Amino acid sequence: MISFTKDQKYIVTGASSGIGEGIALLLNELGATVIAMGRNEERLHDLKSKAHDPEAMFLEVKDLSKDIGTLPDYVKELREKYGKFSGMAYSAGVTAVAPVQVIDYEYAKRIFEINYFAPIMMTKGLLDRRNNVGKGASFVYLSSLDALVSTRGQTLYAGSKAALSATIKGMAREVAFRGIRMNSLLPSLIKTPMTTSAESEKYGAKEVVDEQHPFGWGRVEDVANFAVFLLSNKATFLSGQKYIVDSGGML
Amino acid sequence: MTRDEFLAEMQEVLQTDAELTADTVLADLDEWDSLSIMATMAFLDKHFGIKMKLADFRVLSTLGDIMDKAGL
Repeated sequence: MISFTKDQKYIVTGASSGIGEGIALLLNELGATVIAMGRNEERLHDLKSKAHDPEAMFLEVKDLSKDIGTLPDYVKELREKYGKFSGMAYSAGVTAVAPVQVIDYEYAKRIFEINYFAPIMMTKGLLDRRNNVGKGASFVYLSSLDALVSTRGQTLYAGSKAALSATIKGMAREVAFRGIRMNSLLPSLIKTPMTTSAESEKYGAKEVVDEQHPFGWGRVEDVANFAVFLLSNKATFLSGQKYIVDSGGML
Repeated sequence: MTRDEFLAEMQEVLQTDAELTADTVLADLDEWDSLSIMATMAFLDKHFGIKMKLADFRVLSTLGDIMDKAGL
């Protein structure tokens, strides 16, 4: 059975909703200490009230899309507050519906800042030897199936997520000798506030689900279970991979 | 960059809590591995425009030797 101890501390970003919330709750339920990070303080408090062990669910209100260059210093402050980390589940991100004719350079850069540079700079901070436990540490990133399979309108999103999983794979090689594992998950449509937004609906999300997903919309648990497994000591054989989580979409 | 500033920067490059001085022997640092050497190469290139090869480090014993190489 997958279990964690209280001295295993994981940062979970995007924890105030969707997949991040699911990962934070499951990790906490299985015994880990969770530092739940999100922009919305009220929703983070809701998360804590839902936690199996609220004493081991710490809240950090943080907008990771701001002052991205200082994120390694922010991680250092967190380490001074909580101690060394056993890893991170990075789930913060934005969807970006922008067919080619409306791609705007500033907008494109912003998407990459949020979906790519922010996780990379958080990771730089956490991979610092002084900030993680070394052997046994594990990192999981929410990339997207869009990194591999195209969807109309999701070109920038796809690019940012493909870049993320490619860089994480490279970093996994750099830290493997320290016993640290890093993997990405590439889910297809998961029912979350992000993917059910009016904007996503408009571009035919429902149609895509019915045609290409024999097992229907993915649920948050479908991704959270996999993410928590990868963080756990049951996954010590696995690093540098990009795992597709797609409701049988490639059958 | 002064020698003190260089040592402070190297603290971050090597990600070490060990106290660094000009006399610190590189091989004595747990953190001095191939990736740290690569990071040091990138650091020297970025700040001093010095392009070093892996083999160049064989003749450098201390942090002071690296500072000499950087002209500090």
